[in-house]
Amino acid sequence: MPTPEVNPELCTGCSDCVEFCPTGAVAIVNGKATVVKPEACTYCTECETICPSGAIRCPFEVVLVKQENPKK
Amino acid sequence: MSSLADYLKGVPYFSALSPEEREKIAKDTLERSFDRGEVIFLEGEPCQGLYLVKSGRVRIFKSSPEGREQVLMTAAAGTTFNEVPVFDGGPNPASASALEQTTIYVVPTKTVNALLAGCPAAQAIIKLFAGRLRHLSSVVEDLSFRSVVSRLARLLLDSAVVQGGPSPVPRLTQEEMATMIGSVRDVVGRGLRALEKAGAIRIEGQRILVVDPEKLKEAR
Repeated sequence: MPTPEVNPELCTGCSDCVEFCPTGAVAIVNGKATVVKPEACTYCTECETICPSGAIRCPFEVVLVKQENPKK
Repeated sequence: MSSLADYLKGVPYFSALSPEEREKIAKDTLERSFDRGEVIFLEGEPCQGLYLVKSGRVRIFKSSPEGREQVLMTAAAGTTFNEVPVFDGGPNPASASALEQTTIYVVPTKTVNALLAGCPAAQAIIKLFAGRLRHLSSVVEDLSFRSVVSRLARLLLDSAVVQGGPSPVPRLTQEEMATMIGSVRDVVGRGLRALEKAGAIRIEGQRILVVDPEKLKEAR
């Protein structure tokens, strides 16, 4: 399961993301935000929203689903 | 020299030409008069040529399906308009109407393009520029007439590709989507939820699945 991307160069270890993560998936490890429980991450993007230094990105893949029975 | 050829000397497009070349252009050029409020041409129609205001004023505008209008420019005497389709070969990107009693010159597309005939590089560059200007006018149209949800829907439609297909699947954050449609992240988040509720998309983890492109096209 993909998880938010953390840029360690931008992360200040402020722990706002840890506080706001609703599933406890993020922790500060060696002073940097880290997704320590990837299985718990729901990709809700709260951490990206709250990060004051723009260190967390939650990109979405935009995928076109093939229609099995396309509408006429 | 004809009075029109002399007039063309003061028009930037033609000022660098020789008197003979300007005379040739003057011969091909048509003069048309329009009453106040009269439509000169409509968006989407084939291009007749490069327009030059002799007297009066012309409004260049985009219209929404609901009848709203966005003026792109007002052309006064001595100003040219409708360059984009002359140089990119497409239809008129906007409509034009006379703001007052107006007389215009129409220089046929073929005549304008003949000036570039000897320089394929200039032709290619100007065509590219014209295409970019056409795109920008469509951006103005979207920002003026479409809601954020509608702009987001169009972005998803334009971006979405089939997984495993020849093009890489785009990866966009909500912030990036916001900057592409002239909005902010929170509004994009709400827009995504609205589109999901409408059944146009489904959000599964980090994937936005476009499940009903027709619903995206209809998003208001």
